[in-house]
Order: sequence, then C-alpha cells, then structure tokens
Amino acid sequence: MELNGGSVVAMIGKDCVAIASDLRLGNQSVGVASNFEKVFPVNDKLYYGIPGLASDVYTLREHLRFRVNMYRMKEEREITPKTFTHLVSSTLYEKRFGPFFVEPVVAGIPSPTPLDPHPRPFISTMDTIGCITTPKDFAVAGTAADKLYGVAEGLWEPDLEPEDLFETISQTLLNAVDRDALSGWGVVVHLITADKVVTRTLRARMD
Amino acid sequence: MSGPGSGGAYSFSLTTFSPSGKLVQIEHALAAVAGGTTSLGIKATNGIVLATEKKAPSLLLDTTALEKVAPICPNIGFVYSGMGPDFRILVAKARKIAQAYWKVYGEYPPTKVLVQEVAGVVQKATQSGGVRPYGISLLIAGWDSHRGQSLWQIDPSGSYWAWKASAIGKNMVNGKTFLEKRYNDDLSLEDAIHTALLTLKEGFEGQMTEQTIELGVVTVPTAEQMQEKPGERLPPTFRKLTESEVRDYLSL
Amino acid sequence: MALYAQPPTSYSVPTTAPIEHRFNPYSDNGGTILAIAGKDFSVIAGDTRQSEGYSIQTRYARKVWQLTDKVVLATNGFAADGNNFVKRVKQRLEWYEHAHHKPMGLKSIARMIQTILYGKRFFPYYVYNILGGIEEDGSGAVYSFDPVGSYEREACRAAGAAQSLIQPFLDNQVYFKNQQPAPGSAPFVPGNLPLSTILSLVVDSFTSATERHIEVGDGMEIYVVMNRGRNTDDLLGPGILAESMHVEELGALGEGGGEKTFLVTSPLKRD
Repeated sequence: MELNGGSVVAMIGKDCVAIASDLRLGNQSVGVASNFEKVFPVNDKLYYGIPGLASDVYTLREHLRFRVNMYRMKEEREITPKTFTHLVSSTLYEKRFGPFFVEPVVAGIPSPTPLDPHPRPFISTMDTIGCITTPKDFAVAGTAADKLYGVAEGLWEPDLEPEDLFETISQTLLNAVDRDALSGWGVVVHLITADKVVTRTLRARMD
Repeated sequence: MSGPGSGGAYSFSLTTFSPSGKLVQIEHALAAVAGGTTSLGIKATNGIVLATEKKAPSLLLDTTALEKVAPICPNIGFVYSGMGPDFRILVAKARKIAQAYWKVYGEYPPTKVLVQEVAGVVQKATQSGGVRPYGISLLIAGWDSHRGQSLWQIDPSGSYWAWKASAIGKNMVNGKTFLEKRYNDDLSLEDAIHTALLTLKEGFEGQMTEQTIELGVVTVPTAEQMQEKPGERLPPTFRKLTESEVRDYLSL
Repeated sequence: MALYAQPPTSYSVPTTAPIEHRFNPYSDNGGTILAIAGKDFSVIAGDTRQSEGYSIQTRYARKVWQLTDKVVLATNGFAADGNNFVKRVKQRLEWYEHAHHKPMGLKSIARMIQTILYGKRFFPYYVYNILGGIEEDGSGAVYSFDPVGSYEREACRAAGAAQSLIQPFLDNQVYFKNQQPAPGSAPFVPGNLPLSTILSLVVDSFTSATERHIEVGDGMEIYVVMNRGRNTDDLLGPGILAESMHVEELGALGEGGGEKTFLVTSPLKRD
C-alpha cells in the first residue's frame, strides 16, 4: 500500500452514492503520475475503487472486467452492487496466501425490480483477502484511511441530497489527502444517482 | 451388420454418428426415459408445481426412503423420469454447482444459469470417452429475482427448453395432450396443483395416495419476504410438499 | 568405556542463538488532546481514557492541566513522563512567581517548555504538549510542541492517538482549507470562530475519534480560558451546552487578573 500510495472514499446519500479517489501514483516518496484514477465503472449505476499496489490495481481491474463480462453474458443481466461485492471478495480470497495488495471499495445503486421497486444505495469495502463490510454511512480505504475516517465522521450526515453529498465527499477527500504524503495530486469524484452519473475532477493542492 | 442388436456398428460407440446424423446411444437413453415413471410440471402465475408418481415395485419396499423430487438450493427443485441412480448423480452435481455459485456471488443461481450448467454436465456425457449418456430427463422448477418462476426440461442429449407445462416419462404424450387442454396463462398455483394431480391420474396404475406420488412447489415470494433481516436467511422459494399436505390436496 | 569417552555432540554444540535483553523505559498510553484558539479565548481539551496496548488502565486520567489563570497545558503520550513533566513545569512556575512576584506569561511558558524538553534531548519526555491560553495582548493562543521542544503558535492543533483523524477535520473547519468564501463575501480568517462553533468542533472531533479509535473515549475535559472582562453568556447561557455536559468555573489560582477559566466535562462512549 505504501509503495504507490493512494486513497478511495465512498459515501451514501439520499437515493444517491458517491465514490472518489485521489490521482497520485508514487514510487514511495517520489510522485510519478498525477492522472492515476483508482475508480472504475462496472456499469452506469455501479462503480468501484481499488487503492493499493498499482500493478495489482491493473491486474485486478482486468480480472474483474473479465469476470463481469462473463457474468453479463451468462446471466443476461447487469450485476448488482451486492453480487459484485461478493464477486470481488471471492476473487480476492482465491489468493488468500499471496494476496492482491488492494483494498477495494464498491458503490452503486441497484436497479429497481418488481419485488424491490425502491432499492437503497449500496456501498461496501473489503480488506486485501476479501472480508466484506457494508457500512450504512461511508467507506474509506488507502494510505489516508485514518484521516478519511476522522473527516468523514465529522462531515457526513444521513440523507444528503446529491449536491450536498458531492460537497461532503469532496471536502472529506481533499482535506484527508492534504494530510497524507502518499495521497493527493488531484481528486476525481463520481456522483451516482438513479438516472445518471456525474464525474468531476477537482482543483486540489498539488504538493 | 457387426455386433449384436439392430443398431449396427454405431450403436456401441457413443461418439460416432450414424449415417443419418444420429447418435444412437442418445436415442437409447431417450428410450430409457420414455420407459420411466411419469413426471410433470406446470407453471402458474404465482408459482410452479412439480409432480411425479412414485410407485414401488414391491409392497415390501419402504417408500419413505424414495426421493424423486429433490431440492437443489432454496430456490430450485428437480424431478426426473428415467434411471434413478443417474438422477442422484446429477442432483449431487447440481447441488455442488449451486453451492459453488453461492460461494462466488453470495446468492443462489438463477434457474436458467443452473439449468445451463447442468445441461453442460449432461452434454459432456454424450461426447466423452468411457462414459454413457445420462438415462434421464429432468424437469427443473425455480424462482429468481431476474426471471421470476421458470420451468425447464433437460434431455439426455443436454438440450434444454423452458415450458409453461410439460410431462416426461411413460405417459408423456397423453399427459402433454391433457395439459394442453387444461392449461391457461392465468392459472393459480392451487389450480396448477389440482391440474397436476388430474394429469397424473390419467394412466395412473393403482391407487394414487400420498405414498405413491410426490409434489414440489415453487412459490413467488412477496417483497416483504425478500427483505433481508440481520441474522436471518431468506425463506426458500422451492419446497417439497409433506405427505399430509399431499393427502389434503388428494382429498379435495 | 569407549561408549563414554566422548560426550554426544549435542552437549558440546550450543543450540540457541544469544538473546538480547533490553529495557525499554517508554510506553504509549493513548488518548488524544486538542486546542483551538478564539479571538479572546482559548479552548483546550482532552479525553480521559488511559490505556496500554488493548487494556484500559483507567477511564479517568487527567491530561489537561490549569497552570495559571490564563494558561492551560495538555499533555499526551507516555503518561508517566507527562505527569512528571507537568510537575516540573508547575514547580518552575512557582519559582518564577516567587522571584518575579507575578505569574509567568503564556509566551514565556511556551519558551520555558521548549528549554525543559530540549534539556532532555537525549532521553526525552515521550510527550506531545499543547499549550493554550490568553496572550499578553489578550488574544487567544495555542502553542504546540514535539517531544524535544520544537514549537509554534497556531490557531488549532490536535495531538495523540487520533491526531490523524482530527487534524484534517480541523484544517477544514478552523483553517478553512479547501474552502472558498462565496463571491463578494469577506475572506476567511482562522482563529476568529465564535465559542459556540469551537465547542461544537471540539465535541464532534472527540465523538468522531471515540467512534473510530479504540484508545479514545470514556470522558472529555474541555478547558475554556477567557480574557478578562469577556462576556461569558456564550458558554453559560441557556441551551449552549448539551444536556449531558457539565460546566464549572475554576477559581483564580493567584491574585486573579480577571481572566476566567471554565471546565466543561462531558461523557464519551466507553466501548
């Protein structure tokens, strides 16, 4: 984790979720790139972020792309956030004794079904070997995790509207990474609502 | 022709096509199914019923130990016509497939996915060396959040279809004709169970009792039932009917 | 006899590598402290849990100390060092008062603390200090120190187990980091927040840290030092403090210059 640095945070709002990452890729204390996004889409209502060892970030992303595409074809449907979480988890646990050095965070809104016409927004997070937690408020991961916990605990409140959720997650990430030498160098935020996803790259301290 | 029987050289090699384009061993497997006891399934608006006759070859047999309708996972059940031992193997494999799916995705497979996987297993037995095809046809009933309730059939060849209602085994042809007359698109599960019993009664030899038939049902859950409560499992959507439930349906 | 002529090889070959034993005089007793300066007051706070590893030694151990009528010191780190350090500081303050017939000022205490800490540069007090109070000019001030005496005056500071949780929150809320004033409105100036806001920030910081850090919790002591003549309504007025919080005014330590120090106590989660 401390080799490349980087952090991800996800938050639940009222009928919306947001997930954000910093953009730094480092080689220990040397900054290497400021365009290294750690959050990727699965579909238009489901995103996930993987902070950690950059080579594992790539490998796992491609591995999950493969498995989600296979799922999509076999099942003729989009994967739900909860099922995707289990997929990531079992993928990680397959490597129990030689783990991927990543801590994934999943954020999405399940599609409505006849039995569940108003699905609740969903976030989850895992450790390196896939142990799942599904918080009701926010999930943090990466080298600024402890800072993110502190700020998020102070700023987050229940049932934030999309604009307020965007402000909350942005401020949380910006201020947390400013106190983390291994995270920062820009920030990207994805705000997911039932009908669209808004992605914004924020102006941030670049030191 | 070489060898005994009328199939000629093609009848023993599973993996050799006959000149007419058939794999004769599969034809023979289908014959084994057609000789098996009758089973049927009917899809209703709010569920599915699977039914089969369970006739003991001897009065001395303890029929409570016979199981022809098998739950695979909480949302899917099997019934078969054909060779009992082959059924048990496929049930064991299907259960393993369902649990493997659960291990990866944290939920049980949708009916169609399980059907495809099991059909794959069945197909493999038509193309591998040293094996024979499965001597059974399966009726598979299940419920999932994606497709709702669905009823499927898998044949010894590995082909599979979805049905609104169907029958397999000894009285397959009569049964299907009967079902075609009785079926309509807004059948309730209760109606479907009675239709299933009536269909089974056609050509049933001997007394139809709770000991000589087996029933399994898929019920469509309510939104309330699908709410996950901490520390609790979701209620199963497939279950076998108990002997007393079967007796109640028979007496109506 | 030949059998016993030579002892078995296992007797002669040493089977274990030498083990190095070393005395470690330090430990970490957890807990967190923080201070925020206002225009004419200063707030210095700490939790009351004292722990070692996963064991709680006590749910009430003092970490924040009133030094003079206008100065409060918070210590965090190795409790034994902290207690002895405070003892020494208090003794030096008494000597000063005997010699100069007046209490030592905040700025001077800060500098004295530096010399005391640096005096033990090669066997340091394993303590992070935050000093808060009223400056000579009447302004609220916060000074923060590292264990060997490096210090600076700031508008706010968190230290201890949950520093990493609280400090970025304070950066945002006290220093207005990553915030911009609405177009046309006045620029943000750190260190001018009203007392009610600062109290909320302190309480939120500690409840947040309690929620997420095992070494923080049990209780909270918030010292509020007010400049002489300052109105106390924004602390003592009705509905300012939560039901569970308790406030008392601490009497003057010396002759009293009119500054007032209040101690606000509040329970924190004990799990």
